[in-house]
Amino acid sequence: MAEIEQKGAIVTFFSTASSVGKTLVSTNLAAELARNGYRVCLLDLDLQFGDVCNYLQLMPESTMADAQQAFAVEGSDAHVEEYLTPYEHDGVVFYVMANPSLLEEAYNIKADAVKRVVQQLQTMFNYVVIDTTSMFSVLNLSMLDISTVVVFLGIVDFIPTIKNMKSGIDTLKKLNYDRNKLRIVLNRSNAKTRIPMDEVKGILGEDFYHILPNDFKAANASIKSGVPLVLSHGSDGLGLALRELVYRSTNQHYEEEYPDHSEEKSGGGLFHRLFGKE
Amino acid sequence: MAYRVLLVERNRLMLEQLAQAVRQAGDNFQLVARYQAPSDALGQGVLFKPNLILLDIDNKEGIKQIAEFNRGYPGATILCLSENWQAAGVSQLVQAGAKGYLVKPFTPEELQAAVKTFAKSGMEVSSQVMTFFSPKGKSGKTSLIANLAMTLGRRTKEQVGVIDADLQFGDMAVFFNLTPQATIVEAAHDVSFLSPVTLNSYFVPVSDYVHVLCGTAEPNLIDNVGIGDFENIIRMARSLYRYILIDVPPGFNPTSIAASELSDTVYVVTMLNGGYELQHTRRALEIFKDWKDYDERVRTVFTRVSPCDMREKQKLEQELGEPVETIVPNAYQVVSEAADNGSMAMDLEPDSELAKSINRLAEHIIGRHRIRWDKP
Repeated sequence: MAEIEQKGAIVTFFSTASSVGKTLVSTNLAAELARNGYRVCLLDLDLQFGDVCNYLQLMPESTMADAQQAFAVEGSDAHVEEYLTPYEHDGVVFYVMANPSLLEEAYNIKADAVKRVVQQLQTMFNYVVIDTTSMFSVLNLSMLDISTVVVFLGIVDFIPTIKNMKSGIDTLKKLNYDRNKLRIVLNRSNAKTRIPMDEVKGILGEDFYHILPNDFKAANASIKSGVPLVLSHGSDGLGLALRELVYRSTNQHYEEEYPDHSEEKSGGGLFHRLFGKE
Repeated sequence: MAYRVLLVERNRLMLEQLAQAVRQAGDNFQLVARYQAPSDALGQGVLFKPNLILLDIDNKEGIKQIAEFNRGYPGATILCLSENWQAAGVSQLVQAGAKGYLVKPFTPEELQAAVKTFAKSGMEVSSQVMTFFSPKGKSGKTSLIANLAMTLGRRTKEQVGVIDADLQFGDMAVFFNLTPQATIVEAAHDVSFLSPVTLNSYFVPVSDYVHVLCGTAEPNLIDNVGIGDFENIIRMARSLYRYILIDVPPGFNPTSIAASELSDTVYVVTMLNGGYELQHTRRALEIFKDWKDYDERVRTVFTRVSPCDMREKQKLEQELGEPVETIVPNAYQVVSEAADNGSMAMDLEPDSELAKSINRLAEHIIGRHRIRWDKP
């Protein structure tokens, strides 16, 4: 029976300051959605110095560079899924499009090619999660354009970063996206800072969609172990807050004892069929 | 100081126009004589005791004439006049005895600025350009550059230029608490009409020695700075400042590559955050190794190093497999407190570890240029 082809949602993590936790939050979002049985693909678009594969301890055999090459050679016959690297932990699986291994490859990735890759992935996955760099580059702008939701991540440490964040948000507003497409999330909220929250909101002229607590230790441990927090510490602290963010941003109701859906959801089955896994 | 101006310009109409500009430049400018032919000026001008010579050099004999005027008028300041500014010829002009350069026709204001810029110290010919490169963002380099510039100025009493080419956000302006009238966007836009003197006015002075060309206030202006124009800004700035420190966007991009190529030294700056920073640094260094003079030209700096001591530095060198120029301690609290108040961390705590490590780096930079033979 033929069905209308559905396109998955694109969730892009963006920021204007660096080191605000984009990679940590995006890997956790991918993991949590996968844990709930969705088909998820995570793209590392910090092409030169991406950390997704570092954080997940993956050794990719092929990367975005190969996907771009495939499109160049085969055109629309290219199968982008051949260049993905699976991440698996305790039965939870999602896929990663790794950043190129060579800097010269990364330098030569074109925004158009990435857009084609993302659009093809959209036909196979429920969620395409994109990790970016902190820049209004041609590539990032084209990703923001095609995104379903843009999560703008920020931290508050000192005045320059808040001004920087404000200028980023103001620029995003100039792109005239629907207001509910843009979600401002504050990370490391209770980190050492001398600036009260009200003042921050005052400078920004914005409220936060979600606030993540600071847990540098847990975050660092998870980076070192290669396991996203939602998969190892999903029921407390930062892991729990990350889960809540995922439920909110994907319109699911958060339940205290969230059942493990990985076997019930049909999504999981199709996902496994698609890639020939059991 | 009162300037007694001798004006030499071959073109009759231009001579008239320039003479007008000199007359309007203010009470301290007196046009004592003007000539179309250099030979006339050399033979007759002495009677009027000029101390500032504005000399048209748009002819084949230009360089030779500078030397002759220099001999004929010892003690007078010679500023060259030309229709286009060319970086390539600057060192020749200075060698011949010129102090500075003005693009003609000039305005009274430009003449004033030229005298102010060049009369004392003359055009820089041995400037050192340094680009601060970081693989990823958040390297601590903006604060490093700002503090280093202040230190270099204070210690050498020479002119220091800072170019904020991290084109997205004017972080440098925020650091120095500046609200600039002009930024790198305007400078790039105008650069083909500029000479060092007029470019100087796009830099905001933050002390007697340090001048900052601010980045754009809004990220969407990023496309307005062409790489060719950016390169010209750097070349031109070489005649203005002894030390030029350039902040570039993270990673390899046309801007960071152009600045690096035009630099005498590239500092690869990485902040240690307990992640995979060392790996990123190593990969970035690999790219720079294409340079034949990599060993002398590329230096590695780590920030937020704790503990910030010799042993830690050696450990980093071992892990990296490369020498490390300097390590900078974690001075988050000091730096952020200062930045919130729009001031430099060094002004707050001169004896801090941060100040010491920046002093060390400044010493390396100063020492590299000045070979001194200490008498026994």
